[in-house]
Amino acid sequence: MYKDKGIITAKQFVDELRRYQKGSVTRRHFLGVTGLGLATAVLGGAMPGFRPRKAYAGLSGTLNFTTWPNYFAQENFDNFTKNTGVNINVAIFGSNEEMLAKLQAGSTGWDVFVPTNYTISTYKKLDLIEPLDLKKLPNYDPASQDPRFLGPGTIDGVVYAVPKDWGTTGFIVNTKNVTQNPTSWKEFWDLAQGPLTGKVMVHDYQLTTIGGALKALGYSFNSLDEKELGNAEKLMLETKPHLFGINSDYQPSMRNGDAVMSICWTNDAKQLHADMPEMQYVLGKEGGEIWVDHYAIPKGAPNPDAAYAFIDYLLTPEINAKEIKFHGAPSTDARCNKLLPKEILENPILYPAAEALAPLEFGAAESLTNPLRAEIMARFKAA
Amino acid sequence: MTDSQHSRGVTALLLVPAGVFFFFLLILPMAVVLVFSFGDRADTGGYAPAFTFDNYLNLPARSKAFVNTLTLAPLGTLLTALFAYPMAYFLAVKVSPQWRVTMLVLVMAPFWTSQLLRYYAWIMILGAKGIPNWLSMIGITDVRLINTPWAVLIGAVYGFLPLMVPPIYVSLEKLDKRLLEASADLGATPWKSFLQVTLPLSLPGVATGSMLVFILLMGDYILPQFLGGGKVYFIGNALVDLFLQSRNWPFGAAVSVALVIIMFVTIFFYMRFVLGKSGQRRVALV
Amino acid sequence: MRYYAALIYFFLYAPIALIVGFSFNSGRYAMDWQGFSLAWYGKAFSNPLIVKALGTSITIAGSTAFLSAIIGTLTALGLERVTGKLRHLFDAFLYIAIMVPGIVIGISTLIAFVTLFNIVNPYLMAAWNWKIEMGVWTVVAAHVLFNIAVVCLLVRARLTGMDRSLVEASEDLYATPFGTFRQVVLPLLTPSILAGFLLAFTFSFEDFIIAFFVAGPNVTLPIYVFSSIRRGVTPEINAVGTVVLLTSLVLLAVAQAILQRSNRTLKTSKTVPQA
Repeated sequence: MYKDKGIITAKQFVDELRRYQKGSVTRRHFLGVTGLGLATAVLGGAMPGFRPRKAYAGLSGTLNFTTWPNYFAQENFDNFTKNTGVNINVAIFGSNEEMLAKLQAGSTGWDVFVPTNYTISTYKKLDLIEPLDLKKLPNYDPASQDPRFLGPGTIDGVVYAVPKDWGTTGFIVNTKNVTQNPTSWKEFWDLAQGPLTGKVMVHDYQLTTIGGALKALGYSFNSLDEKELGNAEKLMLETKPHLFGINSDYQPSMRNGDAVMSICWTNDAKQLHADMPEMQYVLGKEGGEIWVDHYAIPKGAPNPDAAYAFIDYLLTPEINAKEIKFHGAPSTDARCNKLLPKEILENPILYPAAEALAPLEFGAAESLTNPLRAEIMARFKAA
Repeated sequence: MTDSQHSRGVTALLLVPAGVFFFFLLILPMAVVLVFSFGDRADTGGYAPAFTFDNYLNLPARSKAFVNTLTLAPLGTLLTALFAYPMAYFLAVKVSPQWRVTMLVLVMAPFWTSQLLRYYAWIMILGAKGIPNWLSMIGITDVRLINTPWAVLIGAVYGFLPLMVPPIYVSLEKLDKRLLEASADLGATPWKSFLQVTLPLSLPGVATGSMLVFILLMGDYILPQFLGGGKVYFIGNALVDLFLQSRNWPFGAAVSVALVIIMFVTIFFYMRFVLGKSGQRRVALV
Repeated sequence: MRYYAALIYFFLYAPIALIVGFSFNSGRYAMDWQGFSLAWYGKAFSNPLIVKALGTSITIAGSTAFLSAIIGTLTALGLERVTGKLRHLFDAFLYIAIMVPGIVIGISTLIAFVTLFNIVNPYLMAAWNWKIEMGVWTVVAAHVLFNIAVVCLLVRARLTGMDRSLVEASEDLYATPFGTFRQVVLPLLTPSILAGFLLAFTFSFEDFIIAFFVAGPNVTLPIYVFSSIRRGVTPEINAVGTVVLLTSLVLLAVAQAILQRSNRTLKTSKTVPQA
């Protein structure tokens, strides 16, 4: 494990450091090859966040992890399994509503899942989620987290979920086919009904689709006002015949040209833009959504020890950085940001300018659970 | 134990396992669904005990889904039957006996690829880089195939042809060729023989296949979801959304009950009609 | 007519050719051919999620087929022995089991079991520190329901068409009822039972909608494919699909061969000398 290389030259050290920072080698390799590993183990107690995980001993069995698509680096999971012997079973979901539905139906058998900010208070209300024992999560350092993102996970002073990453909801435009250069939600819906008819998609998700309609009309993303929702529904119904599809799975259609514009999330935008630079991500002028995804443990998790070890492992800044690099949603953790290369930190899709972020709203719990909004979405789909 | 008691004991033993399954997995769940259909939606979703007809009164809110399904499902079944019949006829009558089973199996084999993957292939074929692309190369531009009812119909025929062919094949194969000889002897043209002898005698097979495909289409969720892209909304989509999006269990239960009733009624009348025509009383599945 | 058949075969297999073809695509996105590569096969089968999903699906389908074949045959045999109201009742249930759409079975089973578990679990926890939960067994149970009806109908069709004189001859030759069953009836029923087994296996393996609702934390292959398709398929899925298809075709060829052999021996043993 630890190579006995004796003295390592400065150049070799820097080379290894670069390789480690780029993610080409694992931390273990880096620490081992440079001899820092031993030193680290000794200093471990004194350096927060670098403590060797004694709790990894005594873990067994399987961990059931529920998350969103393309949202984790398999390599990190394999490492965890290697270190702890715990097998990771991953279930992939399409929306928060589905996760809520499954948890409400009970006996999911999940150990760790990834709720978005606006669901956490609902989970607590329905007693579906465990308060987190922060002593078991030493890698979680609230001080290094962006304070904007600490709110939703803590209810009445008790932490129920820890931030994983954050992002925004805007829309993606294929600038090769779309020359109008839309910058607002109003233009999104107008273009959908007009010149871009038959080629625009909206999400199969009431929060963002109704939200997008509300923003176009100048209302709040989270409005529950019947009149405002009625107007939003009217806009949606007017546009429906012109839409290409109502689908949260928009990447394939954007890639093969069936659609040229769609409501879009940060990480998908990053993946699309990376492969096809003509794909531009737009945050509507009127506003939109800013969201934070968390790690949380549902009540009745079958393997809580593994759950805590797993979350703690994923919150380790180096591991977290690797995750970010893979899925492209920006990090809430300053320690993590320090480990990311400049191209990522300066990517406007992941880290938009402050002015673009200012009008964005966090989704509200009631927006997700409100039956009127759900029914409007259903009527919209059935129309 | 007397002989008949022994015999009854054996019969009971034979029937109890199925009985257990029918009770716990059919009767009990359907009863629970019925009860739920009269309930209220709990605040954040789920079921709250109540007794109200609201859910049934609210069914018209999904009328478009019912209409869509009740037009496209029978249409899809009909189209599948129309395409399947000549194929089954070819296999049963025109192919030499030693190749028949192999070729029949080849018709069914596509069924053994994941249906999800096959529909996904159609998304590609009907999408911008597929058929519309080729059509635009010969000058027919601006064709939208995917996310339309046509896509769903094509998908239905594609998906269910392998299921429709075997029952029709079986009933055609059992056909006594001497009847056709007799018909010819009596002066009928081949076409007339077909209409008056072959077709009526093969109707049970058509009925079986159609019933199977109709049932699958009426409850389908994947087909309209993939090939309709949210723009073709079936009862199946409405149900999935009610349970996974709005989490309105009582309304979902009411829609389920409505679906089951509609199915029973349509199948009952269909069987009456089709079997009445062929003059047969009982349906054998094979 | 031959051309029509050829056209149909083309129609059926073109999309499959597409799926299989793109499993060899070195690029990540289908419809975007970037060269030939076997890499995805390696990736697919070293992907623990896929392997686990495949295993789960095979387990469920195997159990379903096995149970359905047995119970369906038993039921068919039992129904031969009853008449009147009981028979009509069972007939009705068999048809209902087939007629109720899978989505309703999935939903109703979910609702019923969740309600049942919520009532029963507090007692189980208190007494034995154990909860009953949705899992592989719930999927198998829901699948078996439908497939019992399928097998039963297949076997019954065979039973009604069976030559009674063979059974009578066997009894005349002093065979016990069970002996008659074992040596005369069962071999004649075997093709139907086998067909039922295969059909049940297929339906169960392919099923998405029922498993989607009642599998709990388990992921079957269709569920895995569904969640991948929702956010962009990689050719890994194509690779898995291709392998599954090939395996089924091979299994079918094997089943065919076995059936041919048993048919031939049956034919030779069917010649009962005239008394």
